[in-house]
Amino acid sequence: MITQVKNPILEIHDLTVSYDQSPVLWNVDLSLPSGKLIGILGPNGAGKSTLIKAIMGLVDPSGGYVKLFDKTLAEVRSRISYVPQRESVDWNFPASVLDVVMMGTYGKLGLFKRPGKKEKELSMESLEKVGMHGFANRQISELSGGQQQRVFIARSLAQNADLYLMDEPFAGVDMATETAIFELLKEMTAAGKTVIVVHHDIYSAVNYFDWFIMLNLHLVASGPKETAMTEELLSKTYGGKLNLLTKVSDLIRQKDFNPLKN
Amino acid sequence: MEDFVYFFTFQDSSIAFVVIGIILLGVGSAYVGTYSFLDKKALLGDAISHAVLPGICVGFILAGEKNPLFIVSGAFISGALATFLSSWLNKSTRLSEDAIIASILSIFFGFGIVLLTIIQKSGNPEMAGLNQFIFGNAIAILESDVYIYGGLAVFIILCLTVFQKEFSLLVFNPDYGRAIGFPMGMIRVTFNVLLILSVVIGIQAIGVVLMAALLITPGAAARFWTDRLGVLVILAGTFSAISGVLGTYISFVIPQMPTGPWVVVFLSIIALISFLFAPKKGVLSRYLSRRIYLRKTHRDHLLKLLYKGIEANKPGLPIAEIHEAFPFQKTQTKQSIGNLSKDKFITQNQLVIELSSTGRSEAKRIVRLHRLWELYLNEYMNIAPDHVHDTAEKLEHLLTPEMEELLESRLNFPKLDPHQENIPRD
Amino acid sequence: MSFDQNAFLIIITAAMIAISCGLLGVFMMLRKMSMTGDAISHAVLPGIVIGFFISGSQRGLEVIIGAGILGILATLVIDWLRRKARVQLDASIGITFTLLFAIGIILINLLAYKVDLDQECVLYGEIAYLPIDLWLTKSGLNLGPRILYLSLLNLILVITFIILFFKELKVTSFDENFSKVIGIPAGLINLSLMSMVSYTTVSSFEAVGAILVVALLVVPPATAFLWTRKLKLLIQLTIAIGIGISIAGYYLAYFFDSSIAGMIVSVAGIGFLASALFKSKSFFSRFGTSRTSVSFEKTV
Repeated sequence: MITQVKNPILEIHDLTVSYDQSPVLWNVDLSLPSGKLIGILGPNGAGKSTLIKAIMGLVDPSGGYVKLFDKTLAEVRSRISYVPQRESVDWNFPASVLDVVMMGTYGKLGLFKRPGKKEKELSMESLEKVGMHGFANRQISELSGGQQQRVFIARSLAQNADLYLMDEPFAGVDMATETAIFELLKEMTAAGKTVIVVHHDIYSAVNYFDWFIMLNLHLVASGPKETAMTEELLSKTYGGKLNLLTKVSDLIRQKDFNPLKN
Repeated sequence: MEDFVYFFTFQDSSIAFVVIGIILLGVGSAYVGTYSFLDKKALLGDAISHAVLPGICVGFILAGEKNPLFIVSGAFISGALATFLSSWLNKSTRLSEDAIIASILSIFFGFGIVLLTIIQKSGNPEMAGLNQFIFGNAIAILESDVYIYGGLAVFIILCLTVFQKEFSLLVFNPDYGRAIGFPMGMIRVTFNVLLILSVVIGIQAIGVVLMAALLITPGAAARFWTDRLGVLVILAGTFSAISGVLGTYISFVIPQMPTGPWVVVFLSIIALISFLFAPKKGVLSRYLSRRIYLRKTHRDHLLKLLYKGIEANKPGLPIAEIHEAFPFQKTQTKQSIGNLSKDKFITQNQLVIELSSTGRSEAKRIVRLHRLWELYLNEYMNIAPDHVHDTAEKLEHLLTPEMEELLESRLNFPKLDPHQENIPRD
Repeated sequence: MSFDQNAFLIIITAAMIAISCGLLGVFMMLRKMSMTGDAISHAVLPGIVIGFFISGSQRGLEVIIGAGILGILATLVIDWLRRKARVQLDASIGITFTLLFAIGIILINLLAYKVDLDQECVLYGEIAYLPIDLWLTKSGLNLGPRILYLSLLNLILVITFIILFFKELKVTSFDENFSKVIGIPAGLINLSLMSMVSYTTVSSFEAVGAILVVALLVVPPATAFLWTRKLKLLIQLTIAIGIGISIAGYYLAYFFDSSIAGMIVSVAGIGFLASALFKSKSFFSRFGTSRTSVSFEKTV
């Protein structure tokens, strides 16, 4: 069941995305309401990360488009915040916790300007919100997984955005951190922000989110719990890949170019 | 021209030895290098090549002359030390692999330069031969050299051929090898030994700086022509041998030119040809493949157009109308009409085009695939009817008869597509 | 011991080169592009030779421009091989730089009648000649060693570049995807870094040779990284190491009568390996044997 909304904060229209020559997302059509905590769920390889990357412009779609605040990404960059997967960076990098959080302020600073007192204050506030205030000068190589995740979230808070997209922020994180992050996200949505989260665990998801996007190479469902998480839809999402779809993807991968691209 | 004949008919036995030498050297390096390339550790060979320089110098200092035994041993020890240090640094520091390779490479080389300049200043007349190790001078290969270096090269080639199974496990799936009881640690050490050996002998011809090319380029080029390991190494060896001989020829004709750079140039030309023109993987082949596919796509669309005409009770369509359906594609449409006529899928009656009976079957098939796929997208993936057309339009040309069967049975031999149009069958 | 002006000039120049290379090298290392730096320093050779050829005996701007073009060309070729031709990355790098370097050597030989470049000099330079290679203006004024000024200019430009783009370099090195999302032109930053490396290679090659530039790009930052995880300290340590190896390298080369550049690199190498040895014992006996150090304190 795919629920569409009026005046969506994020609108995806007929989006097809290929990754490494084979299609990973087929014809996704959805619209999302603002001010909600939204979870993207699905099995491994379902296209969850790809969807986020396509929204963020990191991957070019083979077809369709994405609209944010009814505009293109380039027009509204300053209102959007991205939290990538934790493993996507090398945590041995010589930076302190504060250094990383301050990176969130770079977008608004522009070229040549250096971060100053205002940026530092904003970053320290963000660190407070994630409970890492005392770690400001700690080297990131000394952090645990949960602490790393909090730093990433603090960085995105420092961007002061309206729409947040987070790729698996709860993965590999201890229970205390998970609860703390969830509380924070709930506060954010209460304050009117929209938060979209790729989540890996269906059991906790049920209690966390207001809205559910179920993916399995295609959009299975999008909507509140009652309409999106029925047993039938769950089995469609987690019950294995569509055989034909997989076969066609294989066929496409064998060709040396992608016939779906224009 | 005289030079050419003189060179290639081997009237001079010393030239014959040079050519044999360089072929053996090149093939040995290509063999080992190809495995390195498949292991995605191609630049390690570059590091080892630079790292043997100090060993060569020490060997020379100890022997007082260009004694092959001392030089090979020195180079080998130097190379082995570099390899050992690389893995040690990898294990015990947090430095990234590329930083470690680059550091080892330049440090050893720098140390080698120090030794080299000390030797130069000492005024030993023999040392002129040492410079050949930096840029290569195949012409200087003597008969005695061929026996030693050639012998080592043959040893390397034999080793890799006899133990092909073990070494391919090493580069493709070492964990599996370990699981089925192969001594992967030993195999890795043996491989490293072979790598160092091939560097030591290869630098005679090509020099320290460019040795990486002799290891990497043949394999990279050969990879574009085949997927089979056995063929791959032989092809790499062939490329290397050809480049080696041609490079040596240039050195022969222009004596002040070092061999190394010319071997690299010829190897790179072969590589570029491979990257561009190899069937299936080459840039050009992929381009042509895509063009052919797009042309087939266009022909299919034309057939569909005619079929839809029949569905609308128009047994044939005037050419002008067909062209109108494909704006900005006049040449393409003309070509498609020509091809379809030739294959007897369509017939032309004055200015009206009609489907032949074979044409009608083919058109039905494509329309059927299109509509089946639309139904599949709509029913199984909840995709709205107005969004299924584009994807189906692109995929109808790909779907095989096997897929068609699967689609039919999955959808239970449906009669109508999401747009309420008939799904035609014979 | 009287003040040896020549020694001073040579050491100062070497130190400036080491600092320029080290500063750029820190970011190359953090981006895991050390081998690309190696490739670029080899690839600029044809540009240098052609520049020499065009400018005749006046070594000037043409050389820098030639090398700059080649450096960018090399980066583009590597990228084309990887993305369009679909050759794996390490092979793309290896094939590109060996070909360009080979062409450079061939050009040196072909153009020897006009180009006063020595094959070996290209590899390890000859900074010992520095004091006698003077910059004489048209009015005959002796302004000092030409290479000194080249290196000084290079150093100023490198420092300016790093200061201007410090935050962009930092964020693109740490998290490229994030930087793209917040609107930073990551591709351009990368290309400009590569261009600076090309320019620095050219500017330095007469003194230390193309290959030893690589050592100065890679080894001091790697050594510093073994000692500290703080970026500011990393940079400071790299600079200090650069100065230290220049001094030690000069005097040791004098003592052993060897190539100065080679000795500088050897000293750097000894420092590097000694640091690795030292750090691997005490460091890990405190934090355990795993590669990543993780503290398990409960979060606040």
